[in-house]
Amino acid sequence: MVTVFGAPAPLRVGVADLSVMVQGAADQNSVLDAKVRLHLKRSSATNVFEIVVPASHAAATNKLLYAAHVNLPSAGKWNLEVGVTRGDLAASASGDINVLPPEPPLASHWLYIALVPLLIVLFAANQWLKRNRRFRRFRVRP
Amino acid sequence: MNSVASAALTSWTLSARVIAILLIASAVYFRGWLRGRRLIRQEQDYLRLWAFLGGLGVLFLATESPLDAFDSLFLSAHMAQHLLLMMVAPPLVLLGHPTLPLLRGLPRRFVKEGLGPFLSWPLLKRILRSLTSPPIALLAFAVSTIFWHLPKFYELALRSPGWHAAQHASFFWTGILFWWPVVQPGPGKFRWPRWIAIPHLLLADVLNTVLSAFFVFSGRLLYPTYEAIRASRMSAQDDQTIAGLIMWVPGSIIYLVPALVIAVKLFSPVVPLSYTRRARRVSAPRVSRTVLSRLPQLRRVAQGAMLLLAIAVMANGWWGTQVAPLNLAGVLPWIHWRALSVLALLIVGNLFCMACPFTFVRDIGRKVLPAGLRWPRWLRKKWLPAALFVVYLWAYEAFGLWDSPWLTAWVIAAYFLAALVIDGVFRGASFCKYICPIGQFHFISSLVSPREVRIRHSAVCKTCQTHDCIRGNDHARGCELYLFQPKKASNLDCTFCLDCVKACPHDNVGILPVAPASTLIGDPYRSSIGRLSKRTDLAVLALLIVFGAFVNAAGMVAPVMMWEHGWHAKLGPKTMPAIVGVFVIGGAVLAPLLAVLACAGFNRLRMAGPEVTRRFIFTLVPIGVGMWAAHLLYHFAIGWGAPWVQVSSVPTWLTSAQMLVLDAGLLLTLYVAWRVANQYTRKLRSALALGMPWAVLSCMLYATGVWILFQPMQMRGMLH
Ligand code: SF4
Ligand code: SF4
Repeated sequence: MVTVFGAPAPLRVGVADLSVMVQGAADQNSVLDAKVRLHLKRSSATNVFEIVVPASHAAATNKLLYAAHVNLPSAGKWNLEVGVTRGDLAASASGDINVLPPEPPLASHWLYIALVPLLIVLFAANQWLKRNRRFRRFRVRP
Repeated sequence: MNSVASAALTSWTLSARVIAILLIASAVYFRGWLRGRRLIRQEQDYLRLWAFLGGLGVLFLATESPLDAFDSLFLSAHMAQHLLLMMVAPPLVLLGHPTLPLLRGLPRRFVKEGLGPFLSWPLLKRILRSLTSPPIALLAFAVSTIFWHLPKFYELALRSPGWHAAQHASFFWTGILFWWPVVQPGPGKFRWPRWIAIPHLLLADVLNTVLSAFFVFSGRLLYPTYEAIRASRMSAQDDQTIAGLIMWVPGSIIYLVPALVIAVKLFSPVVPLSYTRRARRVSAPRVSRTVLSRLPQLRRVAQGAMLLLAIAVMANGWWGTQVAPLNLAGVLPWIHWRALSVLALLIVGNLFCMACPFTFVRDIGRKVLPAGLRWPRWLRKKWLPAALFVVYLWAYEAFGLWDSPWLTAWVIAAYFLAALVIDGVFRGASFCKYICPIGQFHFISSLVSPREVRIRHSAVCKTCQTHDCIRGNDHARGCELYLFQPKKASNLDCTFCLDCVKACPHDNVGILPVAPASTLIGDPYRSSIGRLSKRTDLAVLALLIVFGAFVNAAGMVAPVMMWEHGWHAKLGPKTMPAIVGVFVIGGAVLAPLLAVLACAGFNRLRMAGPEVTRRFIFTLVPIGVGMWAAHLLYHFAIGWGAPWVQVSSVPTWLTSAQMLVLDAGLLLTLYVAWRVANQYTRKLRSALALGMPWAVLSCMLYATGVWILFQPMQMRGMLH
């Protein structure tokens, strides 16, 4: 049994982390000593993109999975075929994955830009509080 | 251990951002804890330290350990993670009584001036008091627990890393609120009676029991994602039952044990504890002072090492491969040296000039050369190095210096020769002060450095008869740049040669801390420089370095390169130097000229003259240095291992780090501009009107910088 996870979700043009979980069909135990290969293919009117990469435990955060970092060059529907071999046994599974256009950099980094006005507002509040305190100190009581 | 278990146990997430935050929090707490112990020692001190560090350790386990790697596969792993975030890490952190140590651990000035007004703000105090009151804290905790366990929101967190982080943050912070009335970490007396913690904990346990019973007994699968994945033989329903039991049993123990302890304490007779020892001050070892005080001796060693490197770079540049990423001359000066010297500027000060190999050779040459003439009076300004700096910006792009080891080797050789000849003929450090564009870059950039070569106590200098720091003595020469320590303000023109440190007979000079860019706020008379508001040449140099940062970075992004190559195709071969010249003159000379004229025009409406303009020009230095640092960080991040290790892609954290550096530059510029504006007027509106054009200019520079950082960049220093 093969399950594929992709990050980021949804997948976008650029570097994607594709992780594969391989389980025994009978007992559903994780299979850790297989060789896993990812074959990605996309054809458009003008181009054919084809990527073949091995997936490994070393590239995965979760060491039960096999992962590969793939640079997806174009948006659209890609066909993904996962090939698994273990000794003499071989299996494969395939399906389509949808890759969206790259996220505009502002969308992924807006927080760093928002930090500036946020800190300016905090500074303005700081100055306002200081001025207020100074006035309060000098206020004459009747 | 079987292979599945060992694979599971080695699945650590290890995010650099989380680790950095936890390490900084630990360091600040530890520093404050040490300071606190110097004032007063208590028996619980170590307990508190270990509790706080333990709390951060639990946070690390929850977010970085295999629990995190498996939370999308097993609900039980996710539940254990939530238990740590809500019920274990918060009480441990609070048992460290963190408020005072964290405040003591931060820089004093920041706490006093920055946080002080907020900490003493009555409204904020009221808000914090009500948030930590038992009913509101319990409500926040309950709402957060229930909300995130609703299937719709739980699944959302499983799908989106952003929401997942928000979920964990809300568990931890509402956990802090919930445990506050139980631990009562202070400072100050908690306003609610102690017994209130008992119903508080019991009510939380009721909520916990209801929720976990629902997980165990409902018979409904709450989160279909786990069923879709089925990562093991165990069914998703069984996994949910285990998750419910984890929540139920350890959860209830965590609530009931403290309730029991508090109840027992309440009904026990009160034994007055003498837990404080006599307060005493313990003087701290001045670590930084001991390390920095050895720098004068280390200087020659550093210069010798840099000289050897320079020789290796030149030899490799002349006789090695001309593929820049595989040649020391294509890598060391343009990737490592530039980035590391800016890093040194941001962490300490002008360390490059301190280790300068050119002045090392010059010092050796002076043993035979006369070095007796005075530098011509009419050249004692910064116009010449300013022009040389523009030439550098142009030559770097026009002749692709970064891509030509051979040319780079010649530039370095010419540098050695110029330093030797000029300082062999003229007295003092004329080359450093009046010619070297690299030195000028470091002088101006070190205005934002956190350390400065300066005196420790002005009273000592007032009684000093010899003034060895400038005149020199038998074992050290005086300042060759004519900077007289008692009147020296800022790092301008200071090469960090430390001659003054060695010469001062009273050990009154050191590399001492200063608030970054604070020397730009005032306009005192500066030894050998005068007032910044009177120095047009220095202001122009600063402007060139600021705008040069953007021009230099823009020269390697795709839209600018396409523009240059478009004109190159139209105008024919050999026109590239002229095209780059137009770009550099336009960006580094004309653009600042127009911008400053516009700002000065607005200021003139408020009767402000050229002196004000000059002062505001210096306020732009931090954003310029921020842009240099962000740009050079890019080269360093992708080329640090060259020529031996070739990085194949841009690291994902890079743009975020660059943005943070640029943010810091902009904020510092705005702050300094605000302080300068306030020196001309006490009225808020007038100060805003005076500083506004410069604030707008710095925001425009920031926007340009962000645009540059978001463009595809040429990956210089890498094999393609
Ligand atoms: S720094 Fe040292 S030598 Fe210079 S004036 Fe002060 S005490 Fe004298
Ligand atoms: S003040 Fe002068 S002698 Fe002292 S470190 Fe700076 S340049 Fe060298």
